[in-house]
Amino acid sequence: MEKSVPAVKVVDVHKIYQLRGEEVHALRGINLEIPHGEYLSVMGPSGSGKTTLFNMVGGIDRPTKGRVFIDGVDLSKIPSKSMAWLRCRKIGYIFQTFNLIPVLTAQENVALPMIFLGVPKPEREKKAAELLRSVGLGDRLDHRPTELSGGQQQRVAIARALANDPAIILADEPTGNLDLNTGFAIVQLLYRLKAERGTTVICATHDLKMIDISDRVVFLRDGMIENIERRRALTLTAEEFESD
Amino acid sequence: MSSKEEDSSMEIGSISFPVTEAFRYCVESIRKRFTRALITAISILLGIAFYVTIRSMNTILPNVGQQPPQAYQMLMAIIALLVCGVGIVNSMLMSVTERYKEIGTIKCLGATDTSVLEIFLIEALLLGLLGGVIGAFAGWIAAVGIFSFQFGIGGVFPAGKTAIVMLQYLRYIAEAVGISVFLSVVAAAYPAFYASRHPAEALRYEI
Ligand SMILES: Nc1ncnc2c1ncn2[C@@H]1O[C@H](COP(=O)(O)OP(=O)(O)O)[C@@H](O)[C@H]1O
Ligand SMILES: [Mg+2]
Repeated sequence: MEKSVPAVKVVDVHKIYQLRGEEVHALRGINLEIPHGEYLSVMGPSGSGKTTLFNMVGGIDRPTKGRVFIDGVDLSKIPSKSMAWLRCRKIGYIFQTFNLIPVLTAQENVALPMIFLGVPKPEREKKAAELLRSVGLGDRLDHRPTELSGGQQQRVAIARALANDPAIILADEPTGNLDLNTGFAIVQLLYRLKAERGTTVICATHDLKMIDISDRVVFLRDGMIENIERRRALTLTAEEFESD
Repeated sequence: MSSKEEDSSMEIGSISFPVTEAFRYCVESIRKRFTRALITAISILLGIAFYVTIRSMNTILPNVGQQPPQAYQMLMAIIALLVCGVGIVNSMLMSVTERYKEIGTIKCLGATDTSVLEIFLIEALLLGLLGGVIGAFAGWIAAVGIFSFQFGIGGVFPAGKTAIVMLQYLRYIAEAVGISVFLSVVAAAYPAFYASRHPAEALRYEI
C-alpha cells in the first residue's frame, strides 16, 4: 500500500536564481515520479540544472514554483525541524567533492548522522564500523579523510549516506572527481547497495558509464527534461557485482 | 494537490541534539584543528592584551606624576578597543567562513539551525574565553611589568591606594573578557546562521 506512493514526486518545479539583477532559470518546469527502489540517473551537461534539481529533491533549497513530495510528504508544507529529520532519516546525500568532515575519522564521519537521531555512542560506533566494512573499508576506521584516496573518501561518504537507512540516496556527480576505474567501482557499489537494500537511488551525472546501471535515465538540458529513457534489460545484475 | 499525497502514511520524527553532543563536537573540532584554533585564540589574545595594557596605563600614569589629557586617554581607549575588536571579529569570521561547506554538509546529515548555532557558538565562547582571559592577564602583566621597571613598584601599586588600584585593574580585565566573549560569539553567530539558512549556497562554497 505504501509502495503506491512514489518515493519522490516532482511537480512543475521551477527555480530562478537572481544573479546581479539578472534572472537565471536553472529549472523550467520539471515533472518527475520516481518509484521506490528505482535507480534513476539524471544526465545532462554542466549547467543543465542537475545540482539544482538535487537540491530541490533533497530539501536543501526551495523551488521558486512547484512542489516536491518525498514519500507523499509535501516539502513546502512541513516545518524546518521536520525537514531536518527528513534529511537525516529519509535521504542520504553523496557529493562530488565527498564533503567528509576533515577533522573526523572515517568511523566518526559515518557515525555523525546517527547523533542527530539520538543513537547512543556504542551503537553508532558499531554500526559505522559495519557500514565501513560493507563498503570495503573495514581496515580504515581510524583514518582521516586526508589519509584516504578519492575513491576511499567517496566510499566513506556512501557509508555515511547509509547511516540512518535512508529510503532515498541522492548522489550529485559522485564520480566527477574520480578516475574512470575508481568511478566505475563507486557506481557498482551504489548499484549493489540499491539492490541489497531496496533503496531508491537518484544519481546526477554527466558520465555515460552510469547509464548501464540505471533503471531509467532522465536527460536534462537547460533546466528542462529533454527525454526519459527506460532500460528494458539490465546488462548487469547485483550478483555479478557481489563477485567483484 | 490531489488527496493521494495528503494522506501519506509517513510519520515524521524529530531531531535530537543535546548540548552535550554539541559540546563534544566543539571540543573535538578544537582538539583536531588545534593549530587553527590556536591562531584564532592568539589573535583574540593579542587584541585583548593590547586593550588591557592601554586601559591599565590610564590608571598607572597619574600615579607616576604624568597626567595625560582626558581626551588623549579616551582616544587611546577607543583605538585600543577598535584594534582589538576588529582583530577578534576578523579572526572569528574567517574561522567560521572556512567551514561553510561543513555547515552545508551537516545540515544535510540532519543538523537543525539550532544545532549548527550551538556547535559554532559554544566553540566561539570557548575560544573567546580562552583568548580573553589569557590576553587580559598578559596585557595587565605587561603594563605592570613595564611601568614598575621604569618607576618602581610604587608607581604601579601606590602605597595606601593598592586596593583601589587593584579593583580598577580587575575591572579592566573583566571588561576585556566580556568584550572578547561577546565579540567572538556575535562574529561567529552571523556567518554560522547565514550558512545554516542557506545550505545550498554553503555547499557550493569553495575556499
Ligand atoms: N546560487 C546560484 N546563483 C545563481 N545561479 C546559479 C546558482 N546555482 C546555480 N546557478 C545556475 O543555474 C544553472 C544550473 O546550475 P547547476 O544546477 O549547478 O547545473 P549542473 O549541476 O547541471 O552543472 C547554471 O546556469 C548555474 O550557473
Ligand atoms: Mg552540478
